[in-house]
Amino acid sequence: MGGLLELEGLSRTFGPVTALDKLSFEVPSGHVMGFLGPNGAGKTTTMRAIFGLMDLDAGTVRWNGEPVGAAERRRFGYMPEERGLYPSMLVAQQIEYLGRLHGMDAEAAGSATRHWLERLGVADRAASKVEALSHGNQQRVQLAAALVHDPELLVLDEPLAGLDPTGIDVIGQVLVERASSGCCVLFSSHQLDQVEDLCESVAIIDHGRLVASGTVDELATSGPRRLAVRVEGDRQGAWARSVPGVTLSELDGGEVRLVLDDAIDSDAVLDAARAAGRVTKFVFERRRLSEVFREAVNR
Amino acid sequence: MRFLPIVIAILAVGLAIRLRRRRGIRGAPSVLGPLLGPLVARLSRGKHPFGDTGLVAGREIRERLRGRTFRVITLILFAAVAAAVVIPAVRGGTTHARRVGVVAGSPALTAELEAVARGVGVSVELRDQPDLAQARSALHAGHLDLVVGAETILVKDPISDTDTSAGARYVRALSVAFGAQRAYREAGLTPAQAATIAAARPLPVQSLNPGRNARTTSESTALIGVILIFIVLTQYLTWTLMGVMEEKASRVIEVLLAAVRPIQLLGGKLMGIGAVALAQAVALVAFALVLAEVVGSSIVHGATPWVVVSILVWLVLGYAFYSWVYAAAGSLAERQDQVQSMALPLSAPLIFGYIVSLIGASSGHPSLLVKVLAYLPPTAPFAMTTLVGFGAAAWWQFVLSVLLTVGCTVLIAMLAAQVYRRAVLRTGGRVQLRELLGARTN
Repeated sequence: MGGLLELEGLSRTFGPVTALDKLSFEVPSGHVMGFLGPNGAGKTTTMRAIFGLMDLDAGTVRWNGEPVGAAERRRFGYMPEERGLYPSMLVAQQIEYLGRLHGMDAEAAGSATRHWLERLGVADRAASKVEALSHGNQQRVQLAAALVHDPELLVLDEPLAGLDPTGIDVIGQVLVERASSGCCVLFSSHQLDQVEDLCESVAIIDHGRLVASGTVDELATSGPRRLAVRVEGDRQGAWARSVPGVTLSELDGGEVRLVLDDAIDSDAVLDAARAAGRVTKFVFERRRLSEVFREAVNR
Repeated sequence: MRFLPIVIAILAVGLAIRLRRRRGIRGAPSVLGPLLGPLVARLSRGKHPFGDTGLVAGREIRERLRGRTFRVITLILFAAVAAAVVIPAVRGGTTHARRVGVVAGSPALTAELEAVARGVGVSVELRDQPDLAQARSALHAGHLDLVVGAETILVKDPISDTDTSAGARYVRALSVAFGAQRAYREAGLTPAQAATIAAARPLPVQSLNPGRNARTTSESTALIGVILIFIVLTQYLTWTLMGVMEEKASRVIEVLLAAVRPIQLLGGKLMGIGAVALAQAVALVAFALVLAEVVGSSIVHGATPWVVVSILVWLVLGYAFYSWVYAAAGSLAERQDQVQSMALPLSAPLIFGYIVSLIGASSGHPSLLVKVLAYLPPTAPFAMTTLVGFGAAAWWQFVLSVLLTVGCTVLIAMLAAQVYRRAVLRTGGRVQLRELLGARTN
């Protein structure tokens, strides 16, 4: 398994609204990629375009360098934002049926269905109707439907929405496992803490345009340096206000968070802190993904 | 008896309306489910000859057979067919001998009573009675159906002019025969002369077309066929409409279309529902034929195979034509109330063709309107079936009507597939048809 999904110059308008504006990025195999953006940024439109569910005004979706067609899509797995299953169909029959629509024979589909229902913790509901399941269990069944045919590309629209912590853990583990086995995983979410934990890279879009992308490490360490400093006897960080090139961004229980200009030497900051009192903490901090996100979308 | 088709027609319309209200009712697995489900499941394993379309069709068949709606409707239809076949046979007396009390009988009277019975086509059981008073008592107690004596024909209840049962026809024939004999005697004819005249039989009239009796049977079969086509089309077209709407409403359509093309999904759905419809219709026809043979009913038994084949052909063509229209309509809606607002205009031509054909068939003479409607695809399933039953359609007229319907079905299918492809992924309210003209897919 392994592959590369390329989105190149995707554009689409709905009347006066521009949903996608020359959107381009790549999703490599082997790791989980988060697809982030505020509501209405174009995430769902992009995902639907990957599966041919949305006509594009311009742009191309490629898989391993070739335009994506019906044959390629049969090897993809999709979990749409608005969950879609037959409400009155039995869980196992439904998953097996979807597996067969993706080209599996009956035996393989049956075996894979049992495996994924077991793995996702809903094997005891195999003979239940989907409509009889809780929201969380329906979510797990929906993920099983996307996984049953062992897809090369997995595209999940808000797979963690509405799940309890246990459900998030289970689904998160599955996504990481799939990526480790060479699957290409792209998923959207507004739960940025979970995205930060699960993903190795992210793409952030706004108004249909790519506004930031890269590995989580790159994004966390990009931009101005950030320092967390604690000085005994100075809970308000008064010492820092007089240091040129330093901006006090946050006070938190006697700890001050500082943003340093590129030009300033951190030793000068340390010296200023020592002059104010005994320094008990002096640590360079990574940016949280939520900070990166807010900065990227200017909100 | 002549009201029976009207009663069945009213019941059919009532059932159709009820079916619309019973939309989507599914409960515990049916009795048929455990029997047919595994069979269908086994058949669906391995590679499908129709590929993904076959897979989709297989799911439709399994789910329809599993539903309680199918079980209930099937039982109702079988009961209705049984009633339509058995009740006329029982009322016609084909299995019940008329019990005739004979007062002051004689060999000549016995011979006359039996001759008239043969002429009418009923069987009689003659019972000698000691006198008229005891015969009257037996008639009143229900031990006899009729008392015959010198210058006397006695029945328990008056016989209506509209009563066409075998018993009524027998009494009328006796009345005519006895009246004629009295007239012969009063005219002074010798017993030999009277017997000669009484033995007179009508000169058979020859005709170029088949005999009236055979045609009457075919007419009855065609009438039942028109009703059957209407019920089956109404039931399964409603399923098509609701099935497409429900896939859109539940958003499962997005998951399905990520794997298969729209035409495969739609074609499979229509094929699956159509297969269940055809199987049910064939089972009903076979059941009617077997039952008619068992009870000696003439309402189906004796019909030309051509009429039965015609009914099944028009059932398939009618479904093929309308199913695309209903599927396209279903793709425009995502709520039940939206579907209901479309159901009436969609079914208007279907109901019109059904009613006009039914009236034509009941009147005994297909009208010019029926002959015109037989060439219009929306109404041809009913009108042409009626014409075939009456022997009023030549083979080339039948073929012409079939070709016209098939041609229009192809055009309708192309248009419907386009509407479906463009509408089924649109959400947020009912899609107006004009919005789809010249628009992108979604």
